[in-house]
Order: sequence, then C-alpha cells, then structure tokens
Amino acid sequence: MADTGPAIDVKGISYSYGETLAVDKVSFAVAPGEIFGLLGPNGAGKSTTVKMLTGQLRPSHGSIRVLGMDTAEDLAAIQARIGVCFEEKNLYTAMSGVENLRFFASLFGIKDLDTDGLLERVDLASRGSDRVAGYSKGMRQRLMMARALINQPDVLFLDEPTDGLDPVSARTIQGLIRQEAERGAAVVLTTHDMYEADTLSDRVAFINQGAILALDAPETLKLRHGQRSVRIRARRGADEIEELVIPLEEVDAADAVQRAVTELDLLTIHTEEATLEDVFVAYAGRGLNA
Amino acid sequence: MSFGRAWKIAARELRLGPRSPVFIWVLLLPLAMSFLISAVFGGLLDPDPRLGIVDLGSSEVTVAARELEGISVSLVSDAETLRDQVEAHDLDAGFVLAAGFDEAVRSGDEPELDFYISGESLASSRAILAVTTTDLVRGVGGQDPPVSVAVTPIGDEDFVPIGDRLLPIVVYYAVVMAALFLPASSILDEREKHTLDAVLVTPTTMREVLVGKGILGVLMGVALGVVSLALNQAMGERPLEVVLFLLVGSIMMAELGLILGSLVKDANSLYTAIKAGGVFIALPVIFIIWPTLPQWISKLAPTYYFLQPVYDIAVNGMALSDFWLEFAVACLISLALAPILLAVGRRAEIHLAWAA
Repeated sequence: MADTGPAIDVKGISYSYGETLAVDKVSFAVAPGEIFGLLGPNGAGKSTTVKMLTGQLRPSHGSIRVLGMDTAEDLAAIQARIGVCFEEKNLYTAMSGVENLRFFASLFGIKDLDTDGLLERVDLASRGSDRVAGYSKGMRQRLMMARALINQPDVLFLDEPTDGLDPVSARTIQGLIRQEAERGAAVVLTTHDMYEADTLSDRVAFINQGAILALDAPETLKLRHGQRSVRIRARRGADEIEELVIPLEEVDAADAVQRAVTELDLLTIHTEEATLEDVFVAYAGRGLNA
Repeated sequence: MSFGRAWKIAARELRLGPRSPVFIWVLLLPLAMSFLISAVFGGLLDPDPRLGIVDLGSSEVTVAARELEGISVSLVSDAETLRDQVEAHDLDAGFVLAAGFDEAVRSGDEPELDFYISGESLASSRAILAVTTTDLVRGVGGQDPPVSVAVTPIGDEDFVPIGDRLLPIVVYYAVVMAALFLPASSILDEREKHTLDAVLVTPTTMREVLVGKGILGVLMGVALGVVSLALNQAMGERPLEVVLFLLVGSIMMAELGLILGSLVKDANSLYTAIKAGGVFIALPVIFIIWPTLPQWISKLAPTYYFLQPVYDIAVNGMALSDFWLEFAVACLISLALAPILLAVGRRAEIHLAWAA
C-alpha cells in the first residue's frame, strides 16, 4: 500500500471488446508530478487504457498499480484518491454547479468541501448556484474539471479536456493541469490535440491500434524523428515570390541562411521544427485524423 | 457495500424529484386517480353516512343519535318504509327501536334490534354506522352491548362498491409506477447521460447505486400506496399489515424496475417493455375487478402476492394470518431477484464502459 515509486505502473495490459483487440500488451509508468500524454487517433485504444486505469474495465491480461495499489484488489482505495475528467459532459444538468460538486464530494465522504474556492479556480464562482442545464460547453467542461479536483487527487485522468473549447476556457483548463502537476499529482492526459500534448506533457506515448509505438519527452521525439529547417520567402523580380527551405541538419546550413539573408529581397523568414504530428506519422504511417 | 453512500444516491433523487417531470408524473398519477375515483364513486367527497331510525317509543338512542356529528340521521315512520329506503340506497343503514326499548335494555333483557344495511353502501359507512349504533345502545344500558344485533343485508349480498373494487388500480399504479418505474427510468437516464460513469469512478460501487435507487423506489412505493389507500379511506383495521405487504411488493417491483432499467437500450425500449409486461403484472387487478373470472390465473403474476393481500386486508377485513403463503412467496420472489439484479447490474456497468 506504500506510495513509493511511480504513481502509475502499467505492465502488459490487454483488453478486447468481444473479438476486437483494443489494447495489446501496453506498458508504461507515470511519476508523481508528471504530465503524461497519451496520444493517438480515435479508436487507437487511449480511452480503453484509461478506463482500465480508473477501474471501469478490468484488463484481460497484465497488471496495473496506481499509487502502489493493485486495481484488481484495492479499487475503492484507489478511486478515493484519483480524479477523472471525462470527454462526455456527464454532469447532472438539473442540479446547480454547487449541488453537483457537493453530491460528488459526499460520495468521497467529504463534508467540508470549499465549493467557492473550487469554483473560483475554474472561473465559475458567479454561476455556481445556476443549474448546469444553462451552462455553455466551456462552463460544463470547467465544472467537470472542478469535479475531478474535489478530493485533491494524487492521480488525475483527463480525457480530451479542452476538446472544442474556446481559447479562454482552454487556457483555464491548461493552467489547472499545470497547477495540479506542480502540487504533485500525476496527470494522464488523453488527447488527439498534438499541440496541447506538446506544450503540456513531460512525456508522451503514441498509441495506435492498441499498442504503444513510441514513448518519450516531446522534444526528444521531435529531435529524433523530425526535421528542423528555416523557411524563407523572398521577392524575385516585380511580382514573383521565391520560397526556400534550408534543412538545419545540412553541413552548410548556416552559410546558406547567411547567403539568403544578404542576397535576397526577404519577405519572411521562419524557423521550423517537426511537430508531434510529424513524428506520429513517422511511426504510424498515417496522421491522427486519417 | 456502504449504505451511507447508497442513501446519498437515494437522497439526491428524492431532493431532485420535484425538478423531474417523470417523478412528478409518477407521484401525481395515483393521487389523481384516487381523487377521481373518490369523486365519481364515493369516498373523499362522500356525504356523511346516512342512518335511518324508526323509533316506536321515544328512545334515548334516537336523541343521542341526532346529536352525533359526522352522521346524517333521519327519522322514518315505519319499518317497511325504512327497508324500502335502505334497499333503494337512500340510506346507508337503519334500525327499528321497538316501544319500551330503553327499559328493556336497562332491565337486562336483550331486546332484538333489526339493523338494515344497504348492499351499495361503502364499507367505511357500514363500519361507522354499526359501531356507532352499538355505542349508542351501550350508552343507554351499560358497558357491554346488552342487545344482540341481527344484521340483515338488503340487496345484492355479494355487491362490492365500485369505488372499493377500483382500489387495486390505485394501489397498482402507486406501487408499480413508483417502485418499478422510478428506479428503472432513473438508472436508464444515468446510463444514457453517462452520469453513472462519473459516479462509478468514485469509491461508489454499482451495488451501492442499485441499492440507492432501490431505496428510492421502495420509499415512494410504500408512501404512495399508503397515501392512496388513506385518500380512499381504505387502510382497513390492520394498517400495519397493509404496509407490510406494500413494503414487500415495493421491494419486488423496485428490483424488477432496476433489472429493466439496467437491461433496456433506451427510453423507448423501457416504455415498450412496461407496456408489454404491464398486462402481466396488472393481472391481479383485472381479476379483482371481475371476481367471476377464474382467480387462479392471477396467481401467475408476481404482483398477485402483494396486491391481493393488500386488497383483502384493507377492504375485506382479512388479516396477515390469512396470507402467510402469499407473504412467503412474495419474499421468495424478492430474494430470487436480488442475484439476478446484481448480475444484470455488472453487465450494465461493463456495457457502460464500452459505450462511453
């Protein structure tokens, strides 16, 4: 029952929906305070993996230890210390924001929940007493985030937490994710938004067809598999525009850039690096939305 | 298994009930039916019980009867007229006091008192008038009834007032709709909206959710059953025994409702299942309303084992001791449904995780 070691330790888990293998011998570990991105296209096996971690599904093979406890044996104790934010906006819409939070707090046995403070953190302090039925999509998502934080979880599972949100709501959620990681919570972020995963995650795992293709820090993956370059647009003649892409891996890249800057009539100059999407394509042979 | 958490699930539903159209509909339907039956066939809006007296000797009984509140007393000229009025249901009951009745009572003789009851009078009216008459005579002669009352039913002896006969419909709607439909629609709603997913990733188990929603159904079933019977003035002389059968029936119906709500695909399927199965579970009601039908058929329905005892104890003055077998069968059905419910609940939990 000790909390030493990784917050999550997954060893060779598999799960099938009937005849369809959804997750195939997946293994990874997440440290306390780490933001771990689980990336992949729809149907890749991300949500099934998370459902096994939260106890909604039981793996057919392998083992899962969360906070040092086995999900097969100590599920209730694990669930008391985790927070889950679903992709589906599954709130009680006939209840107010405060009532939703208080009800879920009661299921955790929490009697003195600071609902005002929690709603403040998700910018819903002024709407707490309103029924959720009247909330916008962004407000519902923020309330779901607040619900996931009711028990100050040691492990936080977030499934597409900013999907379809306006930039302000997305930034609020991303700020909360960072705060929770700084507090020491291990965060598992399931998303197909590569930019969000890149900016938030300490490490990411690419999952496709139920298997992990790659697992590392985003920067490491991009450096290993992507191409950095300088893209230059310059005017040639009266109405012609020339575009140059200079790969930075080439030996004379610096000279080539220097020449372009001095000799051409520059319009724009950008540095470019590989995105996680590029890396995913390199591994999976297809894009996230393919 | 934490009953505290199960109660929190039930308490949330009870608190939110007034905001749910389904809840309000289930609550109002049996009450509306009670008022309707009472208004049309008697009960709530009934006039006071009507007693006719033929007094051939200026009895104190007549004086005392006329001072009573809640009973309409009429003096009738002769026994023949009294019989005619009772038979025509112009009066609910009546009796003839012979000349020298009071003296005969006081001297210890046991004068005969002819007491006529209309076959169409309500059971409650009959009871009130019979007891009142006995008390009035006691007032004249002492503590123990010094008379032997010969009760002569007039009209159709087997007649059961239509209001009483429709009672099982009210009880059926109260118990079945509240105890079966509320938990069924509640669990289905949580499955469809995926709020159950959020509950099940807290330390709350599916078993606690089922028990919580079952508590809701049982509480509402018993409460609505009692209120409906009370509104129809038909709790009978053994209200605790009536409540006991309402309780067992509500538990059985809540289990069936939860099984149904965990199995069906969507709200349309639920309504279809209730409509299709409704005839079967309403079978005892049909057989109570039409007592000439072969009664053994109604025993095929599980609802028989609480609806029939509730009816017979509340309306026909029978007792729990007459229904030990039915009580045992009802308990056995409830016990047998429990493991089925748990298995269906586990299946629903897995399908929920698959669907999300």
